[in-house]
Amino acid sequence: MNNNFVKGSWQEILDWAQNKSINMLHYCTGCGAIELPPTMTSRYDMSRFGIGPAATPRQADLLLVTGYLSTKTLRRLIYTYEQMQAPKFVVGFGSCTINGGMYWDSYNTIKQLDKYLPVEMYIAGCMPRPEAILDGLLKLKKMIADGEADGYQRYQDNLEYYHQNQEAVLGEVQRTQ
Amino acid sequence: MRNEKDLLQLMNAHFEPLKLEIKRKQNVSVEFKKEELIQALSFLKSHSYRHLSTISCVDWPEEGEFELVYHLFSYDDLINISLKTRIKRDPGIFQTAKEIWPVAEFYERDIHDFFGVKFKGNDNLEELILENWQEIPPMRKDFDTRKFVNDKYEWRDYNGQKHTD
Ligand code: SF4
Repeated sequence: MNNNFVKGSWQEILDWAQNKSINMLHYCTGCGAIELPPTMTSRYDMSRFGIGPAATPRQADLLLVTGYLSTKTLRRLIYTYEQMQAPKFVVGFGSCTINGGMYWDSYNTIKQLDKYLPVEMYIAGCMPRPEAILDGLLKLKKMIADGEADGYQRYQDNLEYYHQNQEAVLGEVQRTQ
Repeated sequence: MRNEKDLLQLMNAHFEPLKLEIKRKQNVSVEFKKEELIQALSFLKSHSYRHLSTISCVDWPEEGEFELVYHLFSYDDLINISLKTRIKRDPGIFQTAKEIWPVAEFYERDIHDFFGVKFKGNDNLEELILENWQEIPPMRKDFDTRKFVNDKYEWRDYNGQKHTD
């Protein structure tokens, strides 16, 4: 059997399995994080979709960035991301991660999360309601199943680009790898 | 238990305040010469104003001054008092209050971060909230936030339009 074929089908099985069980690290930076408790608990109950909270970065697949990021927080976020094991997915949550949101003219918050980390998708809103969050995460599941959520691969391939952007706003950044 | 008027009388009897004011119920503001302020703080502490809520700072660039405001509270009188004083903007140095309240060290670090005021006697003025800050302190009125943001960050491009346009 063709080696690529085996690899390809194996990847499909992995994608199928991964999209069924997502452990989420919710990095609650901004105000939007307040929509997560109802999303996670009995009212909207995200666990029925196979998504649950994770305790530490090393156990998580999904990094949910819930709002504005000061440069100081961005540094911690990057360290967190780098501790996670691939496959890993980043979702930007709220307009602050998309274009700075209402903090667009703040001297201390970044304006586009995808310049610093490989974002799979954004959930728009200020703040997005639980319905929007679930809708977004279901789309993410579909992207994973279809093999489209390849952020960690993009991060590796464009490491220099991401590192440059990170260093442009943070100065020196410690590297684990 | 003192009321607001008693408190102002007490201040008048022991110091030479520049301005005394009852802002509203349970809220008093007193302006001091900078030489008297630290003394007034320790005096008030020994008169039941034991709680230092915070220290804040106001920039008055036209007058070339910083205004430091110390907010104290008494659990016996149930009154907030704000002690204000003005210092020169340049070089912007004042005395530390950390001998009276150790926690003042952190408030002073905060003010040093955001206004660049130094406090004599507080030798730990490392960055508390900011990180690797290279510009002039960001809460000074002569810090041009908009220009800084434009230089440092890139706006998202919406088909040739920026959302800030
Ligand atoms: S997008 Fe809105 S709700 Fe979310 S962090 Fe920004 S300001 Fe807060």
